[in-house]
Amino acid sequence: MADRIVVTALGILSALGQGLPDHAQALSNNIQGLDHPKFLKTIHAPEFIMGEVKKSNDDLAAALQLPTGDNGYTRTTLLALTAMQQLLKQIDAPLLQDETFAFINANTVGGMCSVEDMYFDFISQKKEGYFVKYIDTLDCAESTENVVRYFGLKPHVATISTACSSSANALILGARMIKHGLVERAICGGCDAMSRFTVNGFLSLKNVDKFPCKPFDQNRNGLNLGEGAGYLLLEKESDAKARGATILAYFSGYANSNDAYHPTAPSPDGEGAFRTMKQALDSAHLHANEISYINAHGTATTNNDAAEGKAIQRLFGNSVPFSSTKPFTGHTLAAAGSIEAVFSILAMQQQIVFPNLNFETQMDELEISPVACLQTNIPIHHVISNSFGFGGNNVSLIFSKE
Amino acid sequence: MMNPVYILSACAISPQHSFEVENFLNLVISADDGKLFVAEPDYRRFINPVAIRRMSRQLKMGIACGMRALQLANVSMPDSIITGTGLGSMTDMEHFLKDMITLQEEALNPTFFIQSTYNSVNGWLALQTKSTGYNQTYVHRGFSIELSLLDAQMFLNEAQTSKVALVGCFDELTADYFVVKSKCEYWKESVPNSLNLLSHNHTNGTIAGEGAAFFALTNEPKQLSCALLGLKLLNLPSSKDFLQEIQGFLSKHGVELKDIDVAIVGKNGDARFEYLYDPTLAAFEVETHVLAFKHLTGEYPTASGFALWLAVQLQHWNQIPKQLILKSGTRPKRNILVINHYVLHTASLMLLQQQ
Amino acid sequence: MEDLKLKLKQQIIESLNLQGMEPKDIDDNAPLFGEGLGLDSIDSLELMVLLERNYGIKIEDAREGRKVLSSVQSMAEYIQQNKKV
Repeated sequence: MADRIVVTALGILSALGQGLPDHAQALSNNIQGLDHPKFLKTIHAPEFIMGEVKKSNDDLAAALQLPTGDNGYTRTTLLALTAMQQLLKQIDAPLLQDETFAFINANTVGGMCSVEDMYFDFISQKKEGYFVKYIDTLDCAESTENVVRYFGLKPHVATISTACSSSANALILGARMIKHGLVERAICGGCDAMSRFTVNGFLSLKNVDKFPCKPFDQNRNGLNLGEGAGYLLLEKESDAKARGATILAYFSGYANSNDAYHPTAPSPDGEGAFRTMKQALDSAHLHANEISYINAHGTATTNNDAAEGKAIQRLFGNSVPFSSTKPFTGHTLAAAGSIEAVFSILAMQQQIVFPNLNFETQMDELEISPVACLQTNIPIHHVISNSFGFGGNNVSLIFSKE
Repeated sequence: MMNPVYILSACAISPQHSFEVENFLNLVISADDGKLFVAEPDYRRFINPVAIRRMSRQLKMGIACGMRALQLANVSMPDSIITGTGLGSMTDMEHFLKDMITLQEEALNPTFFIQSTYNSVNGWLALQTKSTGYNQTYVHRGFSIELSLLDAQMFLNEAQTSKVALVGCFDELTADYFVVKSKCEYWKESVPNSLNLLSHNHTNGTIAGEGAAFFALTNEPKQLSCALLGLKLLNLPSSKDFLQEIQGFLSKHGVELKDIDVAIVGKNGDARFEYLYDPTLAAFEVETHVLAFKHLTGEYPTASGFALWLAVQLQHWNQIPKQLILKSGTRPKRNILVINHYVLHTASLMLLQQQ
Repeated sequence: MEDLKLKLKQQIIESLNLQGMEPKDIDDNAPLFGEGLGLDSIDSLELMVLLERNYGIKIEDAREGRKVLSSVQSMAEYIQQNKKV
C-alpha cells in the first residue's frame, strides 16, 4: 500500500488566540472571538463585529523580534510569521535544511492591509517616504517570500489564490508534491489579514452580518469576516515514523472541483459541494457513514448554507454531526481551509464535536440541522472539512485518526 | 520522475500580432515610451455576451485566450483548468481601492471587487466550458505560469486515462502599476525604442509589458506536438551556479547543453541580470539558435508564457522571425530550452522537445 | 416623473454597460431581472450602488431591494418617496 500522508506539526493563529491550547480552550467552552475591530481602521468598525486577531502589529512584530512601527512588514506577513514560528518550534531545526521541501502558502489580497493606507503615495510622484518599504507588498506572494527570508529557509515555494478555498488547496498541492516525489515534506497553509478592501468588498456584496453570524439557521443574515493564519507540516508516514515524529493525523483524502455555475454564488442545489465531498470520500476510500464529523464551510450566507446543507443532507442524510466554526473565528478567507484543518485534527484529538454557535431555527430547505451544543466523548475517526470559494472553487479535505 | 506532457495547442494575446494571425510575427509592433500593451482582439466571439459588459480588460484577455486555446485543440471541455498570474486584475483592484478611499467606504461597486479576485478568470473558464474538474490559480510572481505547468504535469501524470488540462497565464499593465514599480528600479529611466531594448543593456531596468498565453496539454503522446519534458524553478543564483543548475536540470532529462537546438531567453536589457545569461549563452554550441522575446512583449511576471508559445510556434513555421534572433543557428529545432528570470529574484527553466 | 424615469434609464444603461441599448428600449414596467433585460444578482447590487450614489438612497433589506428594483417604474416611485440628495 502506498505511503500515506500525515500531519506532524502545526501552527495556528486566529481571533481565538495563538496555538492549539488557546483554540482547544475556546472551542470547547463556547468562547467566540468576534468583536468590533480595534486595529482595523474602518468606518464600519462600530457597526460590525469581526474576528480580529487580538494583537496589534507592534505586538506581533515585537514577539518576532522585529522592529515596531513602519517596518515594511504587513499584518498579513506578521500573522504568517507568528503561525509559522509555532510550527517550526515543533520540529528539529536540521530537518528542513538538508532536503527538498515545499512551503505552499495561500492568500487573497497580499499586503492590501498596508497598501490601502498609502496607495495615493504609491501612485504619486513621491519617491521617498515610509511607503517605499511596502512597495513590493501588494501581491499575494509577499507573505510567502517574507516567511522564507525571515526563517532562512530554502524551500520550493508556491502561493495559491482561489478565494476562500485557497489554503485547502495549498494542503492538496503539498500532499501531491510529496506523492510525486518532488519534495520530501511540505508546510502548507494560508494567511489573511483583514483589510478595509476586503471588508468593503464583502459589504458591497451585501452578505455581511452586523451581528454574530448564524450558520445553517433559517434567519442567517450573512458572514462575519475574520483573519488569521494556519500551517501544517505534511510528510510521508514512513518518514515521520523514521524520525520518531508524533503523527497528529492522517491526511487521508481530498478533492477539488468546480461549480461551473456562477462567479460568486454556488449552484443552488448544492451539486458542486456534493460532487466535491463525494470525490474526497472516494479518494480516501471511505463511505459516507464512516465520517464522524463534518466541519462545514458554513459561512452563514443565504446561498452557501442552502447549497452546502442540501449537499450534506444528500450525501450523509442525518447520520453525521456537522457544524460551522465560523461563528468562533469569523471567516478567515484564505486561512480558513488550514485553520479548519487544524480544528478537524483537534476534534479527533479531543473527541469532541464543536458547536455551531448561534443556531436557533431550523432551515426550511433542510431536514437536517447542525450540532448546536458541544458534544464530548464522541469517538471521531474521520473528519471532512469543506472550503468553498468564489469562482466556484470547491475543496473538501479528509483527516483521519488512524 | 514524471512523464512528459504534450502541448496540443498554444494561444497568445500579446503586444504583437500573435492572436489568430496567418503568419509568424511578420509585422512587429514597437513602443517608444517603455510600455507595451497588448493588441486587443475582438473578445465578443469568445465570451458570453451578457457577461462581457461588466468585464475588465484582463478578464476578457484571459478568458478569450483560454477559449481560443481550447478551440485550437478541438477540446470543448477540459478536465482541468490551471492558471498563473503575478498581478491579478490590476484595473479592478485599483478601481475598487481608489473608490473605497475617495468615497470613504460608502457605495462601492461589487463588480470590481469580485473581478479583483485572482481566480476569477478560472471561474469564468470553468463556467463557459462547464468544466467541473480540478481548478487552480497560482499567484507567485515570476513562478506563476511555471507552477501552473508543474501542477498540470502532476495532474496529467495522476490520470489513468487520456486527459486535457487547460493551462494559462495573464498579467495586465496599468498606468498605476507602472508608476508604483518605477519607484523600485523596475523600468529604464532612459527609454530606448522597444526593438532596441536588448542592446541597451548597460543600465538598470527594462520596459513594461503584458499579455496572456494559454495551452491545452495532454498526457497522451501526440505526433507533431511539442512535449514539455520538465521545468525547474530557481531562486536567483550566481552566474556560475546558474550554468551548473541548467546542466543538472538537463542531465536529469537525459539531455546535455550541446543537445539544445534552440534557446529562448528572457534577456530584458536590465544590466543587473545580464550576468545570468552571458556565460550560459557562451556555453551553447555555435549551431544553436538563440532567441529573445522581451523586446516584443515587455517584462511582466508571466512573460515566460509567451516564450512557451514561441516554442510551440517554431514547429509550425519554417522561418524563424528575424526580430527574435539573438544568434542565428543551423540546427533543426527539436530540443528547446526556455531560460527566464524575473526581477524579484527568481529564474526558471523549461525543457521542450518537438515530437 | 417622466424626466426621472428617462434619467434613470440612462443611468442604468451606463452603470451596467448595456451596450447598444437606448432609454427607449427599456419599458417602464418591464421586469429588469429574469426575462426582461436579463439582469442578474450582481446587476441588482450595482443598481443599489446607483441609487445610493445618485439619490442618497440606501437599501439594506434584500427583500425590499428586490421589490424596488423590479422595474424602472418601481425604482422611480421609490426614488420620489425617499430621495435625499
